[in-house]
Amino acid sequence: MYLLGALLSAEEWTALRLSFQVASCSAILGLPWAVAAGYWLARYRFPGKWLLEVLINLPLVLPPVVVGYLLLISFAPRGPMGTVLGWLGVRIVFTWWGAVLACVVVSFPLMVRAIRITFQGIDPRLETAAQSLGASPLRAFFTISLPLARHGLIASCVLGFARSLGEFGATIMIAGNIQGQTRTIPLAIYTAANQPDAMDRSWRLVVLAILLACAALVASEWLERRRPTDDAA
Amino acid sequence: MTLLEFRCQHAFANGFRLHIDFQLDHRFTALFGPSGAGKTTILSIIAGFLTPQQGYVRVGDTVLLDTQQRLRLPAARRAVGVVFQDALLFPHLNVEANLRYGQRYRKNQARSIAFERAVDVLEIGHLLARFPRNLSGGERQRVALGRALLSGPELLLMDEPMASLDAPLKTRILAYLEQIVAQWNVPTLYITHSQAEVRRAAQHVIVVQQGQLVTAGSPDEALGQPGPLGWGNDAGPTNLVRLDHTQSSTGGLIGWIGSQALSLPPQTPGSRLPSFVQFSPGDIIVCRRDIADVSARNHVRGRVCRLAPTDQAVFVAIDIGPVIWAEVTPAAARELELHPGMDVVCLVKTHSLKLID
Repeated sequence: MYLLGALLSAEEWTALRLSFQVASCSAILGLPWAVAAGYWLARYRFPGKWLLEVLINLPLVLPPVVVGYLLLISFAPRGPMGTVLGWLGVRIVFTWWGAVLACVVVSFPLMVRAIRITFQGIDPRLETAAQSLGASPLRAFFTISLPLARHGLIASCVLGFARSLGEFGATIMIAGNIQGQTRTIPLAIYTAANQPDAMDRSWRLVVLAILLACAALVASEWLERRRPTDDAA
Repeated sequence: MTLLEFRCQHAFANGFRLHIDFQLDHRFTALFGPSGAGKTTILSIIAGFLTPQQGYVRVGDTVLLDTQQRLRLPAARRAVGVVFQDALLFPHLNVEANLRYGQRYRKNQARSIAFERAVDVLEIGHLLARFPRNLSGGERQRVALGRALLSGPELLLMDEPMASLDAPLKTRILAYLEQIVAQWNVPTLYITHSQAEVRRAAQHVIVVQQGQLVTAGSPDEALGQPGPLGWGNDAGPTNLVRLDHTQSSTGGLIGWIGSQALSLPPQTPGSRLPSFVQFSPGDIIVCRRDIADVSARNHVRGRVCRLAPTDQAVFVAIDIGPVIWAEVTPAAARELELHPGMDVVCLVKTHSLKLID
């Protein structure tokens, strides 16, 4: 850490911290919703399921700038969501919470996918068995399916975290590019690359981004490989 | 009051219709029928996994389902223990946590069963710390049985709990089951498509086919009906005879049915003396009088009590102490002039006898 601190300027250090902060919050805040959606899609068939799937997966194929634009108009102080939040005295646009929101929406399809696949691999009759032993459906979910899905949940968080680290287009739309508040690593690289005298600074940030991405991939790979030997298999 | 009252009508989207009423008065009742008869559907309705279009289910003095009154108790609040065909142990919990799951979460336990006692009877004390993936098929079923039992059920439902086990293991588990029923007096509805299992364990049997009740009664009575006699494959008829005693002599193993001796096939060394022999009705040669110079070692005397013609064969009920069934062709039955009250000799090869301990 000391070495890293010496290598990076205060501004870069802030960008790194901000990136971590935004990506962690995004993965943690997105998780419960991803679990609910993933479980719902894995276990139930209902009319209009395809529509829900399309809506969830849309951010995967839409340009992030479009996602950011849509978020901006709904969460702007005069927008529909912004008005509601305004009554509560909360402002999201151009704060780091805006960056979190952008990351949650953009990484959500990936998180849902990982969790859905995990739940599809868990025998739903285990919950039936739990209910026959006196557990309510909710308790059966929390004591059986959720613990069995723990590797999927972790993998989903890693995936969400990694996707959020790289988030650029939607973030710059809704959160702006404010030094010390919303300028994460990708935004810092973009900013640095636009200044003719700052090539080596953008290089350091690029290397940093590559290292972070590698760390996330290694973590997810390690979790994948652990799975077959575990009792959940 | 009857232990279980079940009335139900349900039509599935694939055209299968279940329309069946029955009552349970005996501690150990088998629900028997060929594959696809609707046995598991009945179990699902009693356990609360499936709600029929019309139905009424009462266990003891608790009504679990009454579609007319719009009453449906959720599965979690029915004091019904289920042992599934493939055990369905929770893979992330060790054996002890699996066993204690129902004890922990069931609010309305109908009976309280001591953990240590159940573990003793099922002989699973040495498995408590293990995870389900490290158990054999038979161990898994024993743990599943213990788990259902320890939830303190008013009624125990078993869905072909032995279908995936091999024959010697089946009889071992049945013995555990019999002990449990004797020990705690838990009413049990046992689903099976094996006539041997019905004859072995059940006091009473309910026979179903294509979603309808065929007959009900004692195993001897119910399995002697034309329906079950005519079924093929696994669900087909079989003889299971309890040996009064068994002795090992120089000439091999001898089992006694009353005063008649049976020459039994050699046992694998170290196994317990058998208490039953099982043999197929097709393995019996029926003779009018005893004949010499024949390789079949067992010549058992008996008296014909009934003839039951089915599509392809005639089943002959012969009283040799217990009643056994022999299968002959219609032509043979005609030529031998088989009729009730006639004395006959049954020839059975030693190696047609299957030993069951």
